[in-house]
Amino acid sequence: MSSDPLEIPDVLKPIENLLKGVAIMKPGRVVALLEPSDVVKAYVALKVRYGETGLYFSTLVATDLKDEGKIRVDYYINVLEKNQYVVLRTYVPRDDPRIETLLREAPAALPGECEAYDLLGVVFEGNPHLRRAFFVPKEVAEKGIFPLRKDSGV
Amino acid sequence: MTEEVNKADKVVEIPMTLEIPVGPQHPALHEPLLIKVYAEGEYVIKAEAHTGYNHRGIEKLAEKKSFYQDIFLCGRVCGICNTVHADCYVRALEHILNKEPPPRAKYLRTLTMELERLHSHMLVLAVTAEIVGFDTLFMHMMRDRELIMKAKEIVTGNRVIADYIMVGGVRRDLNSEKIDKLKKILTKVEPRIRYYWRVFEEDVTLNKRLVDVGKLTPVQVTSHGLLGPVARASGVATDSRYHDAYDAYAEVPFRIVTRKEGDCMARSLVRFEEMQVSLEICRYILNHLPEGEAVPDERRLPRRFPEGEAFTTVEAPRGELTYYVMSKGGVNPYRVKIRTPSYNNIINTVPFYVDHTIADVPAILASYDPCISCMERVIVVDLRKGTRKRVSMRDLARGDV
Amino acid sequence: MAKIPLLKEVVKLIFSKPATIQYPREETPVEPDARGRQYADLNKCVGCSLCMIECPSKAIKMEKIPEGYEVPKRNARKIYPVVDYLKCIFCYRCVTVCPTKAYVMTSEYRLASDAPVNSRELSLSTLKKASQEPSQGDEEG
Repeated sequence: MSSDPLEIPDVLKPIENLLKGVAIMKPGRVVALLEPSDVVKAYVALKVRYGETGLYFSTLVATDLKDEGKIRVDYYINVLEKNQYVVLRTYVPRDDPRIETLLREAPAALPGECEAYDLLGVVFEGNPHLRRAFFVPKEVAEKGIFPLRKDSGV
Repeated sequence: MTEEVNKADKVVEIPMTLEIPVGPQHPALHEPLLIKVYAEGEYVIKAEAHTGYNHRGIEKLAEKKSFYQDIFLCGRVCGICNTVHADCYVRALEHILNKEPPPRAKYLRTLTMELERLHSHMLVLAVTAEIVGFDTLFMHMMRDRELIMKAKEIVTGNRVIADYIMVGGVRRDLNSEKIDKLKKILTKVEPRIRYYWRVFEEDVTLNKRLVDVGKLTPVQVTSHGLLGPVARASGVATDSRYHDAYDAYAEVPFRIVTRKEGDCMARSLVRFEEMQVSLEICRYILNHLPEGEAVPDERRLPRRFPEGEAFTTVEAPRGELTYYVMSKGGVNPYRVKIRTPSYNNIINTVPFYVDHTIADVPAILASYDPCISCMERVIVVDLRKGTRKRVSMRDLARGDV
Repeated sequence: MAKIPLLKEVVKLIFSKPATIQYPREETPVEPDARGRQYADLNKCVGCSLCMIECPSKAIKMEKIPEGYEVPKRNARKIYPVVDYLKCIFCYRCVTVCPTKAYVMTSEYRLASDAPVNSRELSLSTLKKASQEPSQGDEEG
């Protein structure tokens, strides 16, 4: 990932003040590094700028970075007006992964959040639908295992 | 929630498995997705989704196998859109490797993906017809779909799972004899598709069952993240082939198809027009294939990948499919995330069933295009009488509850 | 007046031949280069085991060539790949990754059976026996 420390891309201008860093992910996706508590504010700012039908929430990817003691949560948003993908990237601590839910602003985040909870253990505060055994078979969920973590032994 | 539950006199549980396991090796196990629909009389007053489908076995398994073995694994996530899965994954690998396939390979990939779009759309339209009771049309469309499967066999060597795409190109080439055979098939299929399009527009049964049913507004579409023909039928012009312009889509005659109405009939008509566009693209490709090599030598491809990550999108027949691949060097990937369009389209649309009749629910569900073959049995619980009855989806759609 | 565009077509089809291929009386037309049963030609195999390493479904095992066969010199370890067709997914990775292009491709797809099926006999039949008369000869599909 090549870093672009000075230049803030046009599409991120609405959330300029929240940015901790900017990067580019192949093949041309703009990555905005944020604090976990700023993600919802950033999404609202983008929605205000581009309108309800100007963007949509596409994917939520959570990755277990066991060696760094963090879980990385990426929110992928497709900004239709600019024809560009924006990635909101945050890190939550691995032993207590909590982050505010995006469900109120983007109902599209529902399956992504439920999956990240069921498979990795990330708690989305304010999401009433979080449940174990949503995707994972009952036997695994009962043992309290989060399958996608690197030390799950699945 | 309890107030509505008390008013309801019937609960309809629709179990649905969202996976077509094809091939002897299917590490994806499916979990049934239960859509519970609370109905008062004939009208739906509340709907909820219970468990999710599980193809996550693939994401964990992908971390244990090498990058190349994962190409075959990802091609088996879905039986009906397997080329697009493989294409998306391989393009992510090519981004990590900073490698681009030759132009002839790009055109061939596009050809296979468009052929797949053709047969997938024919399948969902035939199933929509079957669900509203029009069995004859279903049989006719499936017969003509066999021609496309034959075309796929000519190009890739197999009717269903086309293990066709490899890092750096495709795995087999076309010669002029095959191109002639393909052109003949396309000439046979085109008038059939136009005929079925006319049937959908004019037939009285289909019009009565599909027009003004399951309407979605553009705001509902973007806020709930709906994709593919579902979004385009409500006026939202989103198509990954335009946004990303991957493979040969920047050079072939391609246009985004939208409609304004947003009901089930609009979705079906969008699919028909997309089939027309696919036919045009296939014909253009067969006439304008660039010269050169298309097949890489698989023995020379690198075994260890550099560090990096990539996020690719592709327009599967059902919507936008996204792949995220992260590599930390080495032979196996660190993380592979697959987000299929059915994921968004099915789970996020559960609140939109309210105020429709029970018989409309299967028709709406079919128009969202889940990986169908799996919606078979429905359990109807009559809350007042306390009885449970097993009913097939088709009987439900005909109102025999 | 209700419009039923399909009616004319249905009536026409009542009087024509059915579209279903009457298998097994009629053969289904299969392309000659469809991906079917593949096996290793042991005259070219060098026993490198790459096909076993690369197989996505672990369907290939390397076995020692039994006594009584004339093994070419290039196969120093005297091992050969045995494909278990019940695990094979016919992706043809073994075919494309083999450094000596030793795999023979056929379009034989009728492989369903309840007894184990593998490529042992087919591969071994490509070798000459170490006795006087040559074996059945190469089996080309």
